[in-house]
Amino acid sequence: MVRFKHRYLLCELVSDDPRCRLSLDDRVLGSLVRDTIARVHGAFGAAASSIGFAVRYLNAYTGIVLLRCRKEFYQLVWSALPFITYLENKGHRYPCFFNTLHVGGTIRTCQKFLIQYNRRQLLILLQNCTDEGEREAIQKSVTRSCLLEEEPGEEELSDSGGEEAAEAME
Amino acid sequence: MSNAKERKHAKKMRNQPTNVTLSSGFVADRGGKHHNGGGKPQKQEPHPGTSRQRQTKIIAHSLPEPHVSEQSSSRVTFKKKGGWKAGPEGTSQEIPKYITASTFAQARAAEISAMLKAVTQKSSNSLVFQTLPRHMRRRAMSHNVKRLPRRLQEIAQKEAEKAVHQKKEHSKNKCHKARRCHINKTLEFNLRQKKNKWLETHIWHAKRFHMVKKWGYCLGERPTVKSHRACYRAMTNRCLLQDLSYYCCLELKGKEEEILKALSPMCSIDTGLTFAAVHCLSGKRQGSLVLYRANKYPREMLGPVTFIWKPKRTSSDTSKSRQLWIWLHPTLKQDILEEIKAVCHCMEPIKSAVCIPDPLLTPFQEKSETEVLDEKIGKKRKRKDDGENSRPIKKIVGDGTRDPCQPHSWISPTTGILIRYGLNLLNIFSKDSFLPVAQTLYLMAVSILRLFLFFSDLTMEMNRFRLIGPLSHSILTEALKTASVHMEGKDTEKTPHHWWIETCKSPDSISLHRRQEAIFELLGGITSPAEIPAGTILGLTVGDPRINLPQKKSKVLSDPEKCQDNEKVRQLLLEGVPVECTHSFIWNQDICKSVTENKISDQDLNRMRSELLVPGSQLVLGPCESKIPILLIQQPGKMTGEDRLGWGSGWDVLLPKGWGMAFWIPFIYRGARVGGLKEAVVHSQYKRSPDIPGDFPDCPAGILFAEEQAKNLLEKYKRRPPAKRPNYVKLGTLTPFCCPWEQLTQDWELTVQAHEESSVASSLAGEESDLRRYEVSCAPMPEKTQLSDEVGISINHSTEPEEVMDTECQDQAGAARVIDQDVSENHVAATGSQLCVLRSRKLLKQLSAWCGPSSGDSRPARRAPSRGQQDLTKEACLSILDHFPRALVWVSLSLLRKGSPEPHTMICVPAKEDFLQLSQDWHYCGPQESKHSDPFKSKILKQNEKKKMARRQKRGHAISEGLAVGDSAPGQEALTLGLWSGPLPSMTSHCSRALLGFVTQGDFSMAVGCGEALGFVSLTGLLDMLSSQPAAQRGLVLLRPPASLQYRFARIAIEV
Repeated sequence: MVRFKHRYLLCELVSDDPRCRLSLDDRVLGSLVRDTIARVHGAFGAAASSIGFAVRYLNAYTGIVLLRCRKEFYQLVWSALPFITYLENKGHRYPCFFNTLHVGGTIRTCQKFLIQYNRRQLLILLQNCTDEGEREAIQKSVTRSCLLEEEPGEEELSDSGGEEAAEAME
Repeated sequence: MSNAKERKHAKKMRNQPTNVTLSSGFVADRGGKHHNGGGKPQKQEPHPGTSRQRQTKIIAHSLPEPHVSEQSSSRVTFKKKGGWKAGPEGTSQEIPKYITASTFAQARAAEISAMLKAVTQKSSNSLVFQTLPRHMRRRAMSHNVKRLPRRLQEIAQKEAEKAVHQKKEHSKNKCHKARRCHINKTLEFNLRQKKNKWLETHIWHAKRFHMVKKWGYCLGERPTVKSHRACYRAMTNRCLLQDLSYYCCLELKGKEEEILKALSPMCSIDTGLTFAAVHCLSGKRQGSLVLYRANKYPREMLGPVTFIWKPKRTSSDTSKSRQLWIWLHPTLKQDILEEIKAVCHCMEPIKSAVCIPDPLLTPFQEKSETEVLDEKIGKKRKRKDDGENSRPIKKIVGDGTRDPCQPHSWISPTTGILIRYGLNLLNIFSKDSFLPVAQTLYLMAVSILRLFLFFSDLTMEMNRFRLIGPLSHSILTEALKTASVHMEGKDTEKTPHHWWIETCKSPDSISLHRRQEAIFELLGGITSPAEIPAGTILGLTVGDPRINLPQKKSKVLSDPEKCQDNEKVRQLLLEGVPVECTHSFIWNQDICKSVTENKISDQDLNRMRSELLVPGSQLVLGPCESKIPILLIQQPGKMTGEDRLGWGSGWDVLLPKGWGMAFWIPFIYRGARVGGLKEAVVHSQYKRSPDIPGDFPDCPAGILFAEEQAKNLLEKYKRRPPAKRPNYVKLGTLTPFCCPWEQLTQDWELTVQAHEESSVASSLAGEESDLRRYEVSCAPMPEKTQLSDEVGISINHSTEPEEVMDTECQDQAGAARVIDQDVSENHVAATGSQLCVLRSRKLLKQLSAWCGPSSGDSRPARRAPSRGQQDLTKEACLSILDHFPRALVWVSLSLLRKGSPEPHTMICVPAKEDFLQLSQDWHYCGPQESKHSDPFKSKILKQNEKKKMARRQKRGHAISEGLAVGDSAPGQEALTLGLWSGPLPSMTSHCSRALLGFVTQGDFSMAVGCGEALGFVSLTGLLDMLSSQPAAQRGLVLLRPPASLQYRFARIAIEV
């Protein structure tokens, strides 16, 4: 097919400062990555990777970030990510770093990966949990996500099926 | 982004997860979150921009969670990640007391569900099966749900249902089969041809032709296949078939003298033979002539017509009424009809003194009324036909070619002439049957009111097929078989063809039939229809042509065996068909009607065929076979000029109504190629005859045609962007889309007049050329002497034959003069204000002789009148110009070298230096026009700017100001870039070469192998040019297409 081929970088923003997460939004994040690329790869790198660069998804709670860039120069972006150590917003600097979880060709594959990843995380959490109350809460989340997984498994593409299941869940 | 785009995008993104951020109102939330639970408010806020669906969902599923784990969530939510990931270092100011996994888990779970939704639900507009990978796709998946994987079938089912809703509902509530059943189809066809009637061959044509709605008919314009050259070949070598049933037929019935007397003022003997020509009057030949308004010759032309007289059966019944059919083009119908009506009514004022007020007024009043009435009647009757008469015959009547105006009958009480008129429909005016049931009451009323005016719906239609080309004989003789003579003693009561049985009872008619048959057989042996005298008519009675339809479409070849050169053939070629044999029963409407009604339908015929014992054998119907009276009329081909005489000759076949397709298919099965309107134009162009109505600028139909054409061309021109279309102002083309004949002739008249007044002494030729010098270049004085020298030479050249031919042509010239005088008398009355086309054969012959280059020998001069050349040039020119001050001449032009002219090409007068260059270099192509300046461009630019300003003002300021601007804008006329606007300047002197006329048809001629054009030139200009040109190069003109600067040499010829 004739189209622009992209690479999607599924990353995780890790920071211990809660204000960091608070100030996280796509504009800030985009400029942060761009600046870093410029710093690391110079003007060429910045220009090459600025085409088609975008923040496609961002979740401040989980810290998941989906970056898009052109396939030709995704390595420039990728290699610049470890150099991000601070998130700067309104004069404040919050230390943080990026974990790249997955590099995919489509948003869809990244989403699929993210589902698996999150599920794994939940299970780990469940195993390590000691508190009874928390354990219950986590179990609930896990079952919910697992149930969700099962139902779409049956009718993966059905419009209503997933929705109904989700609604039924709640 | 436009609204639609936005919506599309939103639809695409509806399932995608949106960004989830902590709100900026973090502090405010913090207060609340202790009561509500940490997860909830934060989760709610991050989705202000999400689609409703998802938002509600997330809210919904995030709500119950905190209730369950209220206590736990009340702890620090911001720590949820750091809590487990980055470890409890406590970098933040608010170090939590507990690290809870529940919020963390909630966030993950929410994300999982969002992602799942995004992954699982398709978001594109594609159908389900389109999302499948290639290798899983199967044929007809979109049609058959079962071909999809089972998991997708349910969705696909839903989609399929949706698609059905989107599909346009059938407007008819009947099923397809019911709609296609014959009666309903006929009804619908009738409905569809309310405005534009169909010919009988319409459906056949509609499948193969580009159809146009013209002149109240649906006509095939050109075949959909690429066939320009093939049609030309068919015309020259084989046979081209055309359906000319749209031609109109007027019938005049009455005493011969009366008819002739009535019609004589409408035609002039000057233009050729009239209605009274001996051959035509006997019914032996078809005649053609040009009709004018009564006593208005040479102005107010009405149009060219052809006519045939019904032959006298015996020599004794001269006193009896005769029948005259006038065939004419539908565009000319209205004018000619009214004129004939007027002529017939007002013929004898003495007798019809009482009637005069009536006939003068009522026909015209009635005209408009009847249109409305006809519509009503037509509808009513159609219904009744369909309702009452379920006879199959009636379907033929309703089948296609019924006319909006029912055939009208006018009776002229004074002269006793009955004009019956239908558009190719004839009706019987017989006392017992002229009022049908459906209309009796209404017509009674009408006829009581106006005794001389009748409308009747007894429509009898004539089909007219034209076969062009040398093989038309073979096709005719192959396709048509003369009817078998009825034998005595057979079961007569069974057959419906009583008229034939009656005919066969008398030995006279049988012998006549035999003679006709013999002549028809002879025709097959003649190689080309051009060999037979022009306009020969042959009447025939033929059997059903469908019976001996060949199994397969084939091409007939002329049979060399048949081409024997015996006495009979020679006699036929010399004398044509004898008068008796021109008799046909088609003149008798009763018989035509019965023939139409008793046609065996195709269905029945096929059924009978299928019931034959031996499949594929000849079907023998015996006495039940229909006998169809037809009339064959020879169409002369190219009659004028010297080359390709007889090209494009052929036969016209007249058939009674309802039999069109029955004859059409057999002709095609014998190898005739079918042409449309475009082929008709090509035919007339190669024949160098004017095309109706485009080449008759002096008749109302021609003027209308030109206007329409100009409108269409202008529209087409305006559709292109200004940079991609020729700028006609710069090219010096004043009128690229029309030919302003009036102004052209006026300009020439003025220039010549002005010149005559200015100079007295010098010779006429010198004068005129001098004048031309004035126009062409601005240095008349030095060239004048040189010119007059040349003119002197030319005069010497042409004076040589003068003495030789003097006596020979004396009488001819005398005759011409007499006519001229007559004409001039008419002229004075007409004040010479109107345009006319020169059609006087005498003058045309004279002109054509002058046009050719006189090479010193006596041949061209033979045709020239008797006086000395100089004398002749001066006097004759003046006398001609006196009589025809603003006349046009039909000329044909053939290019000397390169170039193919197109319509509206300008015909120009070459200058002296062009001839010089041409004589030096025979390969000289022609001069070039210098580029003109475009004075309108700056105006247009200014206008555009103004408009822009106005728009800006409108946008910026109040409405009142905008109104003022709006008022000023329409005051200026809209200019089109590249077209001359405003009143035209002098046409003749606008370009470097004086304009003489315009081409109306022009193309590369496949017959001659070079560009050929037909057009009109101003008579004044032509004479002026001829008299000034050197004799050796006389008749050379320059052609320049409207979109080119290049002039090309062409030779002018007037063919008589």
